[in-house]
Amino acid sequence: MTPALPHAGLIEASYRKKFVTHSVPGYHGCYLRVDLSTGSSARIALDESRLRRVLGGSGLGVDILLNEGAAEADPLSENAALAFVFSPLVGSPLTTSAKFAVVSKSPLTQRINDSLASSGFAIAGKKTGHDAIVLVGKAPRPSVLVIDDENVSLEPADELWGLANRAAQDRLRERLGADYQVATIGPAGERLVRFATISHDGRHAGRGGSGAVLGAKNIKAIAVRGSRRTEWAHPQELVALAKRLSEKSFGPATAKYRELGTATNLLAFNRLNVLPTRNFQQGSFAGAEAISPEQLSVARERTRSSCAACTIGCEHLYGLKNGDGSVRLEYENLFALGPMCGISDPETVLAACKLCDELGLDTISAGGTIAFAMECAERGYIDAPWLRFGDGTALIRALESIVSGDELGRLLAEGSRSMALEVGHNSIAFAPQVKGLEIPGYDPRGLQTMALGFAVGTRGADHNRSGAYEVDFSEAVDRRNVNTEAVPLAIETEDKAALMDSLILCKFLRGVFSDFFAEAAEMLRLVTGWDVTAAELRATAARIVTTKKQFNIRAGWTPAEDTLPERILHEALPEDARAQLSPTRLATLIEAYNRARGWTPAGYVMEDIRSL
Amino acid sequence: MFQERLSGVAMQVAVELFGIPRARAGVAQTSAAGSNLGDVLADLAQKFPPLAETCIDGRSLRAGFVVNLSADRFVTSPETPLAEGDTVLLLSLDAGG
Repeated sequence: MTPALPHAGLIEASYRKKFVTHSVPGYHGCYLRVDLSTGSSARIALDESRLRRVLGGSGLGVDILLNEGAAEADPLSENAALAFVFSPLVGSPLTTSAKFAVVSKSPLTQRINDSLASSGFAIAGKKTGHDAIVLVGKAPRPSVLVIDDENVSLEPADELWGLANRAAQDRLRERLGADYQVATIGPAGERLVRFATISHDGRHAGRGGSGAVLGAKNIKAIAVRGSRRTEWAHPQELVALAKRLSEKSFGPATAKYRELGTATNLLAFNRLNVLPTRNFQQGSFAGAEAISPEQLSVARERTRSSCAACTIGCEHLYGLKNGDGSVRLEYENLFALGPMCGISDPETVLAACKLCDELGLDTISAGGTIAFAMECAERGYIDAPWLRFGDGTALIRALESIVSGDELGRLLAEGSRSMALEVGHNSIAFAPQVKGLEIPGYDPRGLQTMALGFAVGTRGADHNRSGAYEVDFSEAVDRRNVNTEAVPLAIETEDKAALMDSLILCKFLRGVFSDFFAEAAEMLRLVTGWDVTAAELRATAARIVTTKKQFNIRAGWTPAEDTLPERILHEALPEDARAQLSPTRLATLIEAYNRARGWTPAGYVMEDIRSL
Repeated sequence: MFQERLSGVAMQVAVELFGIPRARAGVAQTSAAGSNLGDVLADLAQKFPPLAETCIDGRSLRAGFVVNLSADRFVTSPETPLAEGDTVLLLSLDAGG
């Protein structure tokens, strides 16, 4: 084994002095806090009342970060904190529960960022005996943090630095053993690209740049292995419930994910003119059919995969024709690296997806920022005549430049908002972002409940923290003329997401629940023994959303941030004149949202965080 | 409706299928007879039994599926009237991903 860094022994010694035992089923009752600068670590107790108020995942993560003072810190500084957070359901037999949240202040938005990823890292990380692993400080050199039950050490990462995600994970497993679960950053994280991901086994904690936060701490990888299981309060009933849930997960509610994958949204969105195309200049794409999964399946090999402890199996991998293996294809990758950049060549889109996976780039932000740069180049705002919509070679070159650090790459690596401010020419008007986070593949003009969700989202434009598109895809609203009746429906989707991200369960399971809050309460009761109710979980979800808002207020949030790009608010979609969202209408929706949340009309939270 | 009774031929509407409905029917586009949504769904169910098994229950949509009319509004009621020139888009309700 490669020798540990000199301070590794200190970490272990400090750790053993502060051992705390757990008390609540489903939890270990503590988190591991590692100070990478001093080489010390400690086990910090989490009392039952605190856990019940914030549960786990995103909720527990933001609570820990607030206590760490992370809202006020520069996210790429030594003072910044980053938390890998597990949950009471991780390690249980409940399908899709093998998930973890990575929570930090985002270097892209300077606001709260909680990104979720799945699979073995969640199970092994929790089995180390901690409900979360919190990193502060900065390692003195590129390092791997190894956590093996109570043993914590830093090992050199020199031989891994510069490697792509898969190669780094393979190399580390060779070094440590196959029973370790590993999360890594790619070259993008090392170079502090503000939308760098953290990767585990082909999946990513993708949005908001948590990979850059880890890179700024000189941590290439975290390897976890453990043997500590938590108890379940009612194991027999839990197993029976898990069996029923798994059976339901094979039904029609998940058929789309299981049989086709999320990429099948592409043609439906294209038909409804809500497929962002050429940097939101259009809502439909003439080349959509060529890159649709329906077409890709005809022409190339497709295989299916799933996360650990998942019965849905939503992942669809498509083979590359150049023999370079296969790549997972999701709707967001496809939209961002296809229509958003005007690319209709399937091989280019798949190659771009694979490149992002290996470099560790968030595909939505990468595609959005490059599409923005393409428009800047076409308008003559930047000197890059080769960068044109529809040019696949240019897309690949631009992705590579993000990590090569050339002049254009340096701009791209900051994301579209920062790039716009540097480019000038009022290009911020068409930078496709909210709070600095690039907008996912839902045109807000044709999906105006989603527009509200994007505008008020605490981590920026985000389809995973607000599922308001579901409201737009229903009879409940006129999606192109939404009024305040949509507000409580939008809030309901946001609260459901907050609860799912804190328990943690996969959102692709949401369709199988007839009464999610009640069924979630029963799951939590069986795991923890708490007499928790649907009403309590509704209040918990709202509390978690508000706590994220409090984090942002401490980080400098102002009401002016809750908006959409000028293009979205002043230009109708060319294919659909009714798809027009005025600033006045958006402002009305936002004020109604703030009031419904119990905040001031402008969106401030008056209560102290401790009283929430 | 009046014209149908006069001619004895039900109105035909264009139908486009996406995602699971397309996979079950095996076609991306077709046409179906009916002056309201329920009639059209019943006709589709007769033409494409695998589609009915997953997506259609009699004259109604099964849970998890929704119809959009002409890329405009979403509807579910079988009594929703259809007009000449309408296009029925049949898709999964859970649009996200």
